[in-house]
Amino acid sequence: MLNPAIEAHLLDVQKPSRYTGGEIGQIVKDKSDIAVRFAFCFPDIYDVGMSHLGMKILYSLINERENYWCERVFAPWPDMEEIMRQEHILLYALESGDEIRNFDFIGFTLQYEMSYTNILNMLDLAGVPVLQKDRGEQIFPLVVGGGPCACNPEPIADFFDLFILGEGEEVNLELMDLYHKMHQEHASRSEFLKAAAQIEGIYVPSLYETAYHPDGTVKSITPLEHAPEKITKRVITDMNQVYYPEQVVIPFIEPIHDRVSVEVLRGCIRGCRFCQAGFLYRPFREKSAETVCRQGVALCENSGYDELSLSSLSTSDHSQIEQILDKLLEYTEQEHVNLSLPSLRIDNFSKSVLDKVTTIRKSGLTFAPEAGTQRLRDVINKNVTEEEVMRTCKIAFEGGYTTVKLYFMMGLPTETDEDIIGIADLAQKVVNLFYDMPDRAKGKLQVSISTATFVPKPFTPFEFEPQTEKAEILRKQQILKKAIKSKKIKASMHISDVSQMEAVLARGDRRICSVIYDAWKSGCKLDSWEEFFDASRWYAAFEKNHLDPSFYANRTRSYEELMPWDHIDYLVSKKFLIWENQKAHAAQTTPPCREYCAGCGANQCLGRPCF
Amino acid sequence: MKDYRIIFEKKGISKYISHLDLNRCMIRAIRRSGLPAWYTEGFHPHLYLMFPLALSLGTESICEVMDFRLTEELPPEEILEKLNSALPDGLHAVSVGEPHMQATDITAAEYLVKLSAPEIPDLKSVLENFLNQPEILIQKKTKKGLKEIDIKPMLTIKNIDMQEQNLFLTAILPAGNDGNLNINVLTDAFQNYADKPIFIKSACRTKIFSENYQDFF
Ligand code: SF4
Repeated sequence: MLNPAIEAHLLDVQKPSRYTGGEIGQIVKDKSDIAVRFAFCFPDIYDVGMSHLGMKILYSLINERENYWCERVFAPWPDMEEIMRQEHILLYALESGDEIRNFDFIGFTLQYEMSYTNILNMLDLAGVPVLQKDRGEQIFPLVVGGGPCACNPEPIADFFDLFILGEGEEVNLELMDLYHKMHQEHASRSEFLKAAAQIEGIYVPSLYETAYHPDGTVKSITPLEHAPEKITKRVITDMNQVYYPEQVVIPFIEPIHDRVSVEVLRGCIRGCRFCQAGFLYRPFREKSAETVCRQGVALCENSGYDELSLSSLSTSDHSQIEQILDKLLEYTEQEHVNLSLPSLRIDNFSKSVLDKVTTIRKSGLTFAPEAGTQRLRDVINKNVTEEEVMRTCKIAFEGGYTTVKLYFMMGLPTETDEDIIGIADLAQKVVNLFYDMPDRAKGKLQVSISTATFVPKPFTPFEFEPQTEKAEILRKQQILKKAIKSKKIKASMHISDVSQMEAVLARGDRRICSVIYDAWKSGCKLDSWEEFFDASRWYAAFEKNHLDPSFYANRTRSYEELMPWDHIDYLVSKKFLIWENQKAHAAQTTPPCREYCAGCGANQCLGRPCF
Repeated sequence: MKDYRIIFEKKGISKYISHLDLNRCMIRAIRRSGLPAWYTEGFHPHLYLMFPLALSLGTESICEVMDFRLTEELPPEEILEKLNSALPDGLHAVSVGEPHMQATDITAAEYLVKLSAPEIPDLKSVLENFLNQPEILIQKKTKKGLKEIDIKPMLTIKNIDMQEQNLFLTAILPAGNDGNLNINVLTDAFQNYADKPIFIKSACRTKIFSENYQDFF
């Protein structure tokens, strides 16, 4: 139900259907039958949030329960925010149009650090106290968070009642059931939180006290009120049994990813040392080919979409990928559906399959060697060899492709100038390969290089590593520029203070909460949008709180240091991370999990070896 | 293979669907409906769909036109039923038939606007005075910047009627390839003309015409 106050202004804002609801697939229930209402908030605008798979899963999952109702909420674009603030319109849920401050749960999905100020802004727009301690004893609304960034929730601990660690399919409902019961018993907020802290995977930050050493590092994190000392993430062990929606909400406007997706597997066997997702989602679990195909077909049929994506961290590592593709292609070709594989490792594919897959057909060939030399690729455990890059490019060139995009990181641990020059060399070899081919495609060759600044993340072997300072990155960019000789190579080297902020927020402790608060107060929001990010406001917020961003981002942390997230257990042991860090410094690789178990500890949830 | 022309309504919140988004929305609705849609041939086949006349964002309509093709002939009731079961709130197909005219035949469209202005006691005469000006100038964005044009010669006013607090205006404006005027250009100009706020409560396209005000079908 659209609020008339909103409707009166819809023609004054861009893309008004961001704010109307009413899409096919949305779930509307009769309020009088509902016991628990959940506002699922994506802390960014509609266009971004509606592309997000996790939201689709939890939305449908909660709504399967007759007396629970989950609705969607997004951050308004500034044009709409201005109207809302002027007209005193509080943030509402799209399905009912009701203000979310009266909901039982306000849940945020934490997908990237630079969305944190949006959380504060959305709470404020909703008329909910931004700080947890100001919310009083009324049990609702409970502000909860989950998603990958919940692995280090300390920098946003002051704003949340609780965090849900790991995969939410089971624990979300357990939490709502507990709430349902305690709400009927008229429990207070703190009583509820104490009880919720006993559920595995629930972290209640207000029940933990952090003490610091004089040098600013964390001294201790102490649980209060019988809260558990370690909070362990939740894992779904059987991917074929886990709930997966076969109907999704279909936006009117075009979201960033305009398609339906089937999740084919969770986790990753590769163990790239920079990749947080690769460690957070361990262990590797896959859906059967039959499940993937059934869900994919159902999603296409129920939605009418003509693009289906097979999504995961590394879809080609599915043990039955050829069968899945064969079977799905039979359907998709018949029904005029494009099949896309966003995270494809093309090296292990036959050309006939390659031809059929749209990611490649549409956007040219992309490849992420991440580092310029074999030595550095060994350090980061990126199992891609130069030969593989060349072999794939050759297949692509033979197939008529003339654009190749190569992705790299800059500022990786142990990186030298030689590694930077190696980036240019690798691109040059691709250029040479093209011109050495007698039967090359006609068009104009373009090899583009894109470099991003490396951000060390918690729960990776690089959580101990300093981030390279901006001045040094700038110097390295100059080296790379000079090393590029061919006009066929285009380098896009972006530098911004965003990556330092990301590094601080990723590995920050609880004191960062007041920095985020002050940054937001001074006007920071939509920080992941280049046009809105304002570094000076962030630096001012650090100064005001007498904190130094480089303490968090650019300092080497010892193996003994207590990390702000060390009371949180993502099953991968710290001992393993230290060991992997040492191997990195010795440029030793660790083989993929399927070949050899390196003993990270993630299989404890399965009670058996992963493979 | 058979060509069909659908007449559909675009009301309620569906008026906020832009023309481009409507195209995607309809493609998916046809796919969901299970109708045997015809696809173009070639390397990238796509579902053939055509809207002879665009509708501006925010305007409702009871007479939108959409052309598409099915691989076989089906009874009209079946087409309507299947399509309507797949359409979102506000979009509703009212009739289906064979297309007789071409998009290029469209010349004009009729609109019904509902206005109110609590602070203007005699809204009807204000509107009449506005329409009776020797010229009605508006700023039009062109490639070379703003250009002033007179829309008065383009207007055909069919009816002005005050009912309780609301004023109803029926107007015919040029539409189609040889010149198009959106109804909101007229209402914007009226809002600018008045010195007190005027609220456009709704604006709805009610008819599409070919030459000599013959219904487009
Ligand atoms: S337990 Fe072994 S196989 Fe399983 S994720 Fe860890 S390293 Fe890989």
